[in-house]
Amino acid sequence: MSDRSPGLHRPRTIVHPGPYGAVRIEHMRAERGRHFRLALPQGRSLHAAIVEALASVDVHNASMTLLDGDLETLSFCLAKPDGTGRVVATYTAPIVIRSARFIFGNATLGKSAAGAPVIHCHAAFRTAEGDVRGGHVLTDQTVVGLSPITVVATALDGFDLRISYDEETRMPLLRPQLETPHV
Amino acid sequence: MSDIRLVESGRMGRVAYARIAPNEDLVQSVEKLCMAQGFRHAFVRGALGSLVDACLARSDGTCLVVRGPAAEIVSLAGEVRSQPDGSLQAALTGVVVDTDGHVFGGPFVAGANPVCVTFEVTLEEWLPEAVS
Repeated sequence: MSDRSPGLHRPRTIVHPGPYGAVRIEHMRAERGRHFRLALPQGRSLHAAIVEALASVDVHNASMTLLDGDLETLSFCLAKPDGTGRVVATYTAPIVIRSARFIFGNATLGKSAAGAPVIHCHAAFRTAEGDVRGGHVLTDQTVVGLSPITVVATALDGFDLRISYDEETRMPLLRPQLETPHV
Repeated sequence: MSDIRLVESGRMGRVAYARIAPNEDLVQSVEKLCMAQGFRHAFVRGALGSLVDACLARSDGTCLVVRGPAAEIVSLAGEVRSQPDGSLQAALTGVVVDTDGHVFGGPFVAGANPVCVTFEVTLEEWLPEAVS
């Protein structure tokens, strides 16, 4: 839903269920960027193709832009207000579409708490009916179609992006932290 | 006569990643990230996350409000530039999805786009060559 705000828009803040965190911008840096271009092949999941390609060049944390291509299968979620009040917003059950055009998206490669690769991906896409939509893409359940998807990746060297529980939002979130050796 | 330089040459420098917490403004947080890292100019290399509501500028001076929570940003492009008065100014534009999956696009209004759950952004420092 959208509306046109005629004058100055008064932004709305939101109250999360947990205690207000002390640090508002968690940040780390690499002294230089390493860039890679990937072409994700037909039949592979976005997750498997990205993780495998970047691991081959020893990249385990990265920020990515995903460009136009076909999807055999698209699985995504929408963020809705959480009616239970446990959290502020929660994801819907996966919505699965057969055959879609990937328009573009952004993604982050990091690690789970246990160290396994995770990808957080948001994207816009066009359905077979021609509707343009967007959402949180489940990359392990989304499969590349006939036309490959191109990925431009910037490696984040010298630190890890790792999922950890955030008390303020009560959600597991990717956060930067000191690097642990990759095994 | 405009003194805008059509071509600026330079090179890329450091790369910074940030996770921005709830209720912090997207545009001003990107400026603060540059301050924290000592970047004077930067390009966005990747970004995704959610806003409470999104506020996108329209050409007639009004703004388009995309209601959440959460309004999800699916793509973001932009830069941060050092201003003549020494301040830093981020210009960010992108595509937002509402709670039904409908898409909207435009420039994010500074001070009017509070983060909902989390926002991840990667900036790459831009080092313009000195003007001769």
